[in-house]
Amino acid sequence: MKKLLGSFFVLMLLASACSTSDDGGEAGGDSFDRAAMLVNFADNIIIPSLQKFSTDITALDQATTAFTADANETNLLALRTAWSNAYLSWQAVGMFEIGKAEELSYRNFMNVFPVNAGNIDANITSESYDLGAVAAQDEQGFGALDYMINGLATADADIVAFYTDATNGSKYISYLTDLVDRMNNLTTEVLADWNGDYRATFVGNSGSSATSSVDKIANDFIFHYEKHLRAGKVGIPAGVFGTQTFDDKVEAFYKGDFSKALFNANLDAMQDFFNGKHFGSNATGESFKTYLDFLNTIKEGEDLAEIINNQFNLSRTTASGLDDSFTEQVRSNNNLMLNTYDELQKNVVHLKVDMLQAFSVRVDFVDADGD
Amino acid sequence: MKINHLLKVICLSGVAILGSCSSDDDTPDTGLTAPATYVFERNGETTVSFSGQTTRIKMGEEILNAFKTETLDEATIDAMFAHVEGANDFSEADLNASDKSVRSKTAASQDYFSDNVTDANAIKAEFDAFIKGQVDEVFPNWGTTAVAGTPGVIQEAGGGSDRYVNAKGLELNQAFNKGLIGALMVDQALNNYLGVTILDQTNNSRADNDNEVLVDGKNYTNMEHKWDEAYGYAYGTSANTANPNPTIGDDDSFLNKYIGRVEGDPDFAGIAEEIFNAFKLGRAAIVAKRYDIRDAQSAILRRKISEVVGIRAVYYLQQGKNGLEAGTVDFASVFHDLSEGYGFIYSLQFTRNPDTNAPYFSRTEVQGFISQLMGGTNGLWDVTPATLQSISEAIAARFDFTVAQAGSTN
Repeated sequence: MKKLLGSFFVLMLLASACSTSDDGGEAGGDSFDRAAMLVNFADNIIIPSLQKFSTDITALDQATTAFTADANETNLLALRTAWSNAYLSWQAVGMFEIGKAEELSYRNFMNVFPVNAGNIDANITSESYDLGAVAAQDEQGFGALDYMINGLATADADIVAFYTDATNGSKYISYLTDLVDRMNNLTTEVLADWNGDYRATFVGNSGSSATSSVDKIANDFIFHYEKHLRAGKVGIPAGVFGTQTFDDKVEAFYKGDFSKALFNANLDAMQDFFNGKHFGSNATGESFKTYLDFLNTIKEGEDLAEIINNQFNLSRTTASGLDDSFTEQVRSNNNLMLNTYDELQKNVVHLKVDMLQAFSVRVDFVDADGD
Repeated sequence: MKINHLLKVICLSGVAILGSCSSDDDTPDTGLTAPATYVFERNGETTVSFSGQTTRIKMGEEILNAFKTETLDEATIDAMFAHVEGANDFSEADLNASDKSVRSKTAASQDYFSDNVTDANAIKAEFDAFIKGQVDEVFPNWGTTAVAGTPGVIQEAGGGSDRYVNAKGLELNQAFNKGLIGALMVDQALNNYLGVTILDQTNNSRADNDNEVLVDGKNYTNMEHKWDEAYGYAYGTSANTANPNPTIGDDDSFLNKYIGRVEGDPDFAGIAEEIFNAFKLGRAAIVAKRYDIRDAQSAILRRKISEVVGIRAVYYLQQGKNGLEAGTVDFASVFHDLSEGYGFIYSLQFTRNPDTNAPYFSRTEVQGFISQLMGGTNGLWDVTPATLQSISEAIAARFDFTVAQAGSTN
C-alpha cells in the first residue's frame, strides 16, 4: 500500500511537473522559508547597498557643487574621486531593478554605456534637452559624467577650460549639475520607497506566482547577469554579438583604466547576493544558495550551489588576467576577453536553467529580437 | 535534488510516449517514408528546383534595406519592388538579370486572387503606399524627433536602436516586411502552389505526374516543381536547402525567420520539424503518386504556417501591451513591436484554414483589427493595452493556441 501511495505520489508530481506553462498563483512546491530569504535580501543587502550608494551620490553632488563653484584641477580631481566611488558602489545596486527602480527605469537612466557624445555636446550647446526622455538615456548617468569629467580633452587643464570658458562655460556647468541632480533625485526616490512601503510589499509577496518577489528578483538577478555583466561589460566590447570588436563600448570608456574595476565590483556583488552575504560584513543569511542547498539540488552528481560558486570564482580568476582598461584589452588581445565571456556564459546555464528549474521559477524576460 | 532529474527523465519520456501515441497530425501508416532530407532525384540527377523563390526572397531583402536608405527616391524603390528583367535595381547581378518580380507575386495566388483582382490590386497598392509613405513622410524627417502626429526618429531605451516612424508611430519598413510574409510567401505557398488547382489541374499537371511526363528541358514533373516552389518560400535562402532546420530562423527576414522564432518558444517547439516533415512527405507522395498523402501534408502545412503568422501577431501585440503598461514607457520599443504586429495582422488575410479553405481572418476582419490599432487620432501613440488585449484574444480564439502561449517566448 505504501508503495502504491508512493507511486501515486510520483504520478502526481509528474503530472504537476509536466503540465507547465501557465503557472498560477499556487504556493511553492517546497517548504523553504522564502519570506526569510526576502527579509535577508531587503534588510541586509538591498537597502544597505542603496544607503551606501546614496551616501556616495551625496558626496558626488557635493563635489560637483564645489567644482562648479570653483572649476580648477584640484576640484576636478576631487570630483573624479567622488564619481569613481559612486560608480563602484552602483555596481552593488544596479541589479535590483524592482519596485520603484523598475517603475522609473532606474538602471537605464543611471548607467547606459556607451553614451552618445555627439548628442551630449548638442544638449550642452542648445541648452534644450529632456533628461526624463527614454531616448536621452544615453545622454546621462555615469557614462555621461565620464564624458564630462574625463572625455572632453586629454589634459585636465583643458577639461577645466571647458567649464571656465567665458562663452560656454556656464552651459557645461549647468549640464553637469543637471546630470548629477537627476542621479541624486532618482536615487532618493528609490531609497525612499524601500524605506517606506515597499520593503513590506517586497517581503510580504513571498508566494511563487510569476509576480511574487522571489520570481521577480530571481529573474532580475539573471537578467542583470546576462545582459549587463556578461554582455554589456564584456561580450559587446569583445565583439561576441557582432562581426567586430568595439573598443569604445566599454564601461567608463573615457576614464580608460576603470572598466575592470567596475566589472569586478559587479561580479563580486552578484556572487555575494547569490550567497546571501550581508552588505559590508561577512555574515550570511538565506539566499539562492541556501535555497538550492535546502532543495539539495544535484547536477551531474555535484552540488549546484557549489557549481555556481565555483563558476563565479573561475570567471573572476580568468578576468584577473585582463588589463585594467578593457579598451586596451580588446585592442591588444581580445582572446582574453572572449575567455572571460565564456566563463561568464557557463553560469548563465546554471542560473537560468538549473537554478530556476529547481525554484520552479519561469523566465519572465525575452531575448531581444535583434532586428 | 535527484527527484528533479528523475522527473525530467519521466517528463521527457512521457512526451516521447504521448508523441508516439497521439498521431492526429500525422498521416496514419501509409507505407510511405519521407527521406531524411529534401533530396529527390531521377536518373541520378536532382529533381528539386526553386530558384525563383530564392530570387524573390533576396529581392525582398534588398527592398528592406532600401527602406532604411533615406537618400533613395520613390521611383527607385518602386522599381525594386516591381523589377523588370535587366533593370539595374539591385546590388546583385543575378537579381538584375532575373525576370522575377516581388510585386507581381504579391497577393497573386491562384486560389485567393485569380478571380479577385479587386482585392489583389488594392493590396498591391497598399504595399506601394508603404514605400511612398516612407519616402514622402519618413525620409524627410530622418533627423526629426518623432512625437505624436510628427514623423521622425525615436530611440529605444538603454541607448538602443533608432526607430523611424510615420506620424502615427508606424514603422513602414516593418509593415512592409511582415506584411510581405503573408502577401508573398504565405499566399504563394499555401494558396497557390499547395492548392489542387495548381498541383493537379493546371497544365495537365496530374496526368503528367501520373505518367512521369517531365517539363520540357527539365528533370521534374510540373507537380513536383510546384511543390518545390512552395518549399522555396520557406527555405529558399537556407544555408543547406536540403536540410534547413539547423539554421532555421537565420536564413532570411521573412517566413524562415519566423518559423525559427516560433520554434524557439518552448510552447511551440517542434513546429519547424512538423513543417519540414510535411514538405518532405508531401514531395515523396508526389513521386509515389499518392495524392491523398500529398493533400494531407498540404493541410498540415496550411495549418502550421498559418499558425506561425497568428502566433507572431499575438506575440508582438502582447509585447507592445507589456511595454505600454511599464512604469516608464519605451515608446520606440513599443512602436517597433506594434509595427511588426501590424504586419503580421495584415498577413492573417493570406492564411489558409484547411478546414474551411478560407483565411483564418478575412480581409474585412483584418481591416477591422488594423483600424482598432491605428484608429486613434495619432495611431499607435493612442492605442491602449485594452485594445491590444482584445485583438490578441480575438486572434488566438480562432487558432489552437492561447494568448499566454503566444505572448511569451518561454
